[in-house]
Amino acid sequence: MAQTQTAGARPATFSPRRILRQRRSARVLSVVLFLLGWQLLLPVLPTALIPAPAEVLGFMWDEIRGDTLGRTTVWEAFAISLRRLFAGFTIAFLIGLPVGLLMGANRWIDRMFKDFVLVGLAMPSLVWALLTGLWFGLDSGATIITVVLAATPFVIINTLEGVRDVPRELTDMARSFHVPRTHVIRHVIFPSLMPFFFASLRYGLANGWKGLVLAEVFAATSGAGWNIRYWYDAHRAQGVIGYAFFFIIFALIVERLVFQRLSNRVFRWRPSDDVGPDELTAKELDQYGVAAGGDVAM
Amino acid sequence: MSAASQTTTVDTTRSGTSDGWRESRAVQLWLPRILGYVVVLGMWQFASTQLVERAFALPSPTTILQEMWEIIVTGVFWEHFYSTIRKIAIGYSITFVLGMGIGVLMARPWADAFFRDWVLSIMSTPGLVFALVAAMIFGFSPLGPITAIVITSFPFVTVNIAEGVKAIPKDLIDMGKAFNVSERRRLRQIVIPFLAPYTFAALRYGFSIAWKIATLTEVFGSSSGIGFMIRREFQMFSIAGMLAWIFFFFAFALLLEQILQTGMKRYFRWRPEAMV
Repeated sequence: MAQTQTAGARPATFSPRRILRQRRSARVLSVVLFLLGWQLLLPVLPTALIPAPAEVLGFMWDEIRGDTLGRTTVWEAFAISLRRLFAGFTIAFLIGLPVGLLMGANRWIDRMFKDFVLVGLAMPSLVWALLTGLWFGLDSGATIITVVLAATPFVIINTLEGVRDVPRELTDMARSFHVPRTHVIRHVIFPSLMPFFFASLRYGLANGWKGLVLAEVFAATSGAGWNIRYWYDAHRAQGVIGYAFFFIIFALIVERLVFQRLSNRVFRWRPSDDVGPDELTAKELDQYGVAAGGDVAM
Repeated sequence: MSAASQTTTVDTTRSGTSDGWRESRAVQLWLPRILGYVVVLGMWQFASTQLVERAFALPSPTTILQEMWEIIVTGVFWEHFYSTIRKIAIGYSITFVLGMGIGVLMARPWADAFFRDWVLSIMSTPGLVFALVAAMIFGFSPLGPITAIVITSFPFVTVNIAEGVKAIPKDLIDMGKAFNVSERRRLRQIVIPFLAPYTFAALRYGFSIAWKIATLTEVFGSSSGIGFMIRREFQMFSIAGMLAWIFFFFAFALLLEQILQTGMKRYFRWRPEAMV
């Protein structure tokens, strides 16, 4: 009787080694190890101001439940900040889009303003936050204007690149086949602009967010940035660190859920091995000596 | 086909085929640029004379240049510049070593999953958060900015190095092994030159972050340094002073970027296409 045993077939066991080797466990493990390490290193650390993980987690849990000693709950604070972000970004988009289109279409205008756009790209948002703080005093005005200042250069440069990158052959071909103008715009230019439009959204919002949070520290009386400053002024370490984690979680959620999902839907029509929008624009931006991903951190 | 007919004069002094200075390459390139500066600086100068109320005070470019000159001449500049540079140097060296180590590790999928969430979230979180936490924990000690620099810039180094390690061409390594090339020589002659563009990219992006975070942390938690001076000017409502220090900050960021570029050009002389 022939032994028909498939090579490499393994009995289905729940061996802990196999589970541990999975990627998901790596992610969970890293968080667990971090918390553990924090708790264990506590007595060794140089300062008494670092709270235990339990205190911070307790603070975060209270905040999530809506029970807060601060001025607003964490939900309200982020909501206020997001509202300002979107208001500011809309303005940035309304300004940046036409400027970018003009600069992309006309060489002269491009050369005239390119240096200033580059300065805007490299400008740390701290500068905008401080300046608008001095100029516009407290509350929403300064914060929204900071978002505008921080995000507009990114909208401009991505739109500019998008216009430049419209594939010449396609437009020429469309012209020689007498394809009507609206058709060309809808089916050739628009899809080719999409990745850049997307990148402008992404980098503009990211940089706008950094600027907004800073502006809220210096020139606002509400919002996520103001809240973390509130706890800092009150010398409550678990508040500061708790909010730090809120920011980190927020960034993770936005990155993973919003942008990944969105880009998958918008670029459904692209073959999967195509270069994604971010790498494309990052390489382009790099020509100008600007670290596309890098400048986002401040 | 006489010799005379072959010696047609070619006008090599003009670029392109059209006449006139207006079409020359140099003018095309520089005129709009200069015009841009004139327009913007002119508007700025004009606006600064109009907006003189305290709240909207906009110092003219000349005022700012004066401030910058004073700062240099009185020697205040060097004290704070040195303070900031020291923190960046220490912080960035640690970052680089740490980042390279983790980057090499991250080429493997398990380690990648382990670090990925942290790296991603640190890259997307506002630097303010780390600056405040560091200032709170370390007070005014230089350890604060240094820690903040390490935490915020190592993800960039890591990501770039990880990309590089993943992309090392396996066939070259295998060929080296097959020909009994020693591990050291393989490392020196294959791996390191291959990783060079990624290392430079890591250096560059990481460094630009380090600069900004150092300054930001100094705003909150330091008693010396460029960030500290920017904050002082802010508290004294001196826009001119603030802008002066900000220009210094920019000037040095640009200078270092230039140095890095030149270094890169020389290193990659033999394969310019690998330049980052």
